[in-house]
Amino acid sequence: MASTETQPAICVRDLHKSIATATHTVDILRGLSFDVPRGQFVAIMGASGSGKSTLLGLLAGLDNASSGSIQLDGEEITGLDEDSLARLRARKLGFVFQSYQLIPTLTAEENVLLPAELAGVNGASAERARALLENVGLAERCDHYPVQLSGGEQQRVALARAFVLKPPILMADEPTGNLDTANGSVVLDLLLTLNKQEGTTLVMVTHDPALAARADRRIMMRDGVIIADEQ
Amino acid sequence: MSNSIPLKTALRIAWRESRASAAKFAFVILAVAVGVGSLTGVRGFSRAFRTMLLQDARTLMAADMTVRVFELPTPEQQQLFDSFASRGIDRTWITETVSMLSAPSMTAPLLVAVKAVEPAKYPFYGEIKTLDNRPLSEMLAGASIAVSDDLLVRGGVKQGDRVKLGGEEFVIAGVLTYEPDRMSGSVNVGPRVMITRPNLEKAGLLQPGSRSSQRFLFRFPPLKADAMIQSTRGELTKAFPDGVIADYRQTHPLITRGLDNATNFLSLVSLIALVVGSLGVAMAMQSHLQQKLDSIAIMKSLGGRSSQILRIYLLQAMMLAMAGGAAGLAVGVIVQKAFPLLIARFFPVAPVVEFAWMSILEGFGLSILSTLLFVLPPLLSIRQIRPILIFRRDMEGVPAPLKERWKQWRAPIAAGLLICFGVAGMASFLIDAPNLQIAARIGGWFVGGLIGALLLLLGLSWLLLRGLRKLSRVAVLRLPTLARHGLANLYRPGNHAEAVLVAFSLGVMFTLTIYLLQHSLLSQIAASAPPGMPNVFLINITSTDREDVNAFLKARKDVEGNPEVIATAAGHLKLIDGRAMNETTLKGPARRFLRARTITWSREMPPQSEILHGAWWKNPDPKTPLVSVLDDAAKALDLRVGAGTEWEVSGKRISARVVAVHRNESVRPGSNAEFVFSPGALDSAPVLYFAAVRAAPAHIPVLQKASFEKFPAITVINLADVLDRVQEVIDQVALVVRFISAFAILAGVIILASSIAGSRLRRVREVVILKTLGATRAKVAAIFSVEFCILGLVAGVMGSLLAVAFTNVLMARVLDAEFRFEWAPNFVAVAGSALIAILAGWMASFRILGQKPLEILRGE
Repeated sequence: MASTETQPAICVRDLHKSIATATHTVDILRGLSFDVPRGQFVAIMGASGSGKSTLLGLLAGLDNASSGSIQLDGEEITGLDEDSLARLRARKLGFVFQSYQLIPTLTAEENVLLPAELAGVNGASAERARALLENVGLAERCDHYPVQLSGGEQQRVALARAFVLKPPILMADEPTGNLDTANGSVVLDLLLTLNKQEGTTLVMVTHDPALAARADRRIMMRDGVIIADEQ
Repeated sequence: MSNSIPLKTALRIAWRESRASAAKFAFVILAVAVGVGSLTGVRGFSRAFRTMLLQDARTLMAADMTVRVFELPTPEQQQLFDSFASRGIDRTWITETVSMLSAPSMTAPLLVAVKAVEPAKYPFYGEIKTLDNRPLSEMLAGASIAVSDDLLVRGGVKQGDRVKLGGEEFVIAGVLTYEPDRMSGSVNVGPRVMITRPNLEKAGLLQPGSRSSQRFLFRFPPLKADAMIQSTRGELTKAFPDGVIADYRQTHPLITRGLDNATNFLSLVSLIALVVGSLGVAMAMQSHLQQKLDSIAIMKSLGGRSSQILRIYLLQAMMLAMAGGAAGLAVGVIVQKAFPLLIARFFPVAPVVEFAWMSILEGFGLSILSTLLFVLPPLLSIRQIRPILIFRRDMEGVPAPLKERWKQWRAPIAAGLLICFGVAGMASFLIDAPNLQIAARIGGWFVGGLIGALLLLLGLSWLLLRGLRKLSRVAVLRLPTLARHGLANLYRPGNHAEAVLVAFSLGVMFTLTIYLLQHSLLSQIAASAPPGMPNVFLINITSTDREDVNAFLKARKDVEGNPEVIATAAGHLKLIDGRAMNETTLKGPARRFLRARTITWSREMPPQSEILHGAWWKNPDPKTPLVSVLDDAAKALDLRVGAGTEWEVSGKRISARVVAVHRNESVRPGSNAEFVFSPGALDSAPVLYFAAVRAAPAHIPVLQKASFEKFPAITVINLADVLDRVQEVIDQVALVVRFISAFAILAGVIILASSIAGSRLRRVREVVILKTLGATRAKVAAIFSVEFCILGLVAGVMGSLLAVAFTNVLMARVLDAEFRFEWAPNFVAVAGSALIAILAGWMASFRILGQKPLEILRGE
């Protein structure tokens, strides 16, 4: 299905997810439905175990839903195989994780470049990677390995990496969760600035009300269902 | 956006990853290097040694192959020889006959064994040694001959004297002290006279009807002997149905058996080295990829497809395999270069280690191939790594339906099959089998056995782990806290205790198997080796002289131990199961049984003999003669246990039932008689005796002289030189076996250590948590020690059990020998495994213990 300007960036219908532990099955998501218009900044909130990270994982095609439908940019992603999902992520999604998830054996610049390389995009991406690192204030630390960077710096590298392919949608999972207040606010400002510059749809999982307050919309979750959806 | 990742990019990513964690990769490379080193090393050595041993074996017949006949070659046979020449097979002709030699100083002519040779060519291997070190071609030029040293003693002549042989006069131009193929010639009836063919003809010793035998010696083009031997033998057998054909692999029964066993053993060790080496490669790669799970999940969440990531890690694996292969080959080169120097300290002859590019390429290729095969399963598991791993590590999704699961299993099953075929292929290649069919069968058996062993080990380790767990829960056996923790560690999720156990036990099994095999092989070789074996033989002793000779030998100080005096008679085989023996019933070499053969009798089984079928007699009745037949004769005559034979011995008919078929590895002329009768059977026949004694080689000429002075009619045969040579070859076989075993055992130990060390990264997290919770270093260390020790002990027990079973089968099937269980090596294996596990575990965990918890927690 071709994407058009009028379509929502994300469209979720009756989404279910269960996982099996050794002894029993847990229903993590129990029938979620919502749309996210293009360019919107949505904060997904909820207590630990409410299912918000699972939702984010499903939206990003990192895991398979048990049932229901998810459309990204008008494209149905449930039922796609691993490789199709990977291709879709390369084209449409950027990702920022709570624990940064940089590859420890690559330098900051190589980490930023990786999505471009995996997508087979070369050429201008090296310059863009450096520009993005400069944007996040790490121009001098291009050649450093993750272990040589502070948490805040690592997360800034992760931000640059998320934007390197100019994805239409960005998923962020507690991006400031592991950072102190000062670093957290630097990273958040950068994230929002880049988001505005690139016109990205941003879905962020957080349980920080102050952070959520800066979003266009807040979706509250508890026990796998949406209990509030405020604009 | 292009769809696939260019090779250059994949290479770049792979290279960047490996560059950044050089230390970790060094370990993987080392594991691969040890694997490749053990494989190529073992193979290289065994090749070099085989060449060296066969070279020595060849010298005992002075050729690669010989054919012996009693007639001159027909035009058709000559044609075959010409076709051999066109294929690069060199040939020389030897004629042997018996004649009388006389000299003015001699009271009576002497019976001599004449050997006509082509001095320019003979011998192809080994050398003729003479008193004054002059070449044979120089000595035999003109009207001259060379004689053995005993002729000087018995004839009272000296070098330079003129003697009469046949109708001609010759000068004794040289004295022979060593003749490489002395054992392979015709019967040693008297002192040796060596002569050229033209001179033999001139002496009139080649008259039609003279009892001369022709021996043709062949030398194959270098390095082609193994390939040509079978086909050439076939052609010769067809062209010379009555000829006796021999090749260098059968120069001497002791050497033949020793070589066969050593070759089989070395092929086995090559195979085991392949498996142990591949196991090392596979384990290194598996633990390497295990550590990359997170990186792979991140790449997937960033849009990397399985195929792209597979490509990156495949390239990385190849890079590691090549680096490891190169390092392994380098080590192999160094060791192989140093080895001749090392061996020169023990032996005068050093193996020629050829440095062939082919074998280097072979080793490199095998290392890449085995790496590729064994990284397949971990690489394929990349497809199963879900990007969601970043969020949730320890939970499984809802079980997929059976059809889905089957889909997931398809690739690993295919990979497993591929590994089986690959290993079978490599095994077939390594075993150096004579043909493709046998190679394929051995490969199949090998893989089948390996799978069987793996399954058995998996089952055993599951049972043992379960049993231990059950035991530890019994309240009566309340263990101390540390031991309980150590034990519990074996069951922690992600520990893969079963996999480590299987890998470790497999290593123990192979290492111990090699030791047990070499141990049995060496004691077998030692038991059959010549030390103590008689090296001087006195033949043609009559009944009247018998007691005197015995007394003479017993009185001499230069004779070691008790002389053996054995009776022989001439017997003519007339009927087998009522069927007459004649030209039509006997073909080929079996026709020798149309003539009278040397037969003997004995109460006990002759020394160095082994019963193949039937049984030796106990208290036989002298009135019902029994006979045991040498395996060669039994085969030629198709004689089986239970058959009835009828003999003519000095005009008397004797019937004897065949009760046994035996094999003999002795070098006694006469004692390796083809037919040994029960006591009493030959009582009425006139017998001749021969005596076998051992003397120091330096004293033999004096003994020869004394014997001749006292008993002029008795011939003394000196086989000391030949026996020394046999001993040398056998010592070398033993050395090769010992050295290569040590090498393979060392590789096994290193790989064992690496299987434990591979679990290093899994422990980091655990140490950190334990430390955070307040455990001291010593406590953590103690907990780990208990875990490693249990792993080592359990693996040691399982490995030993399997090694004993495996060795038992191999000894019976491949090495044709008996296995005797011994406690000591098994005990050492179990204790050693525990020690290695603890040491290796320690070496791998040492740094972890010193780590500050925060470093790790922050890095998470």
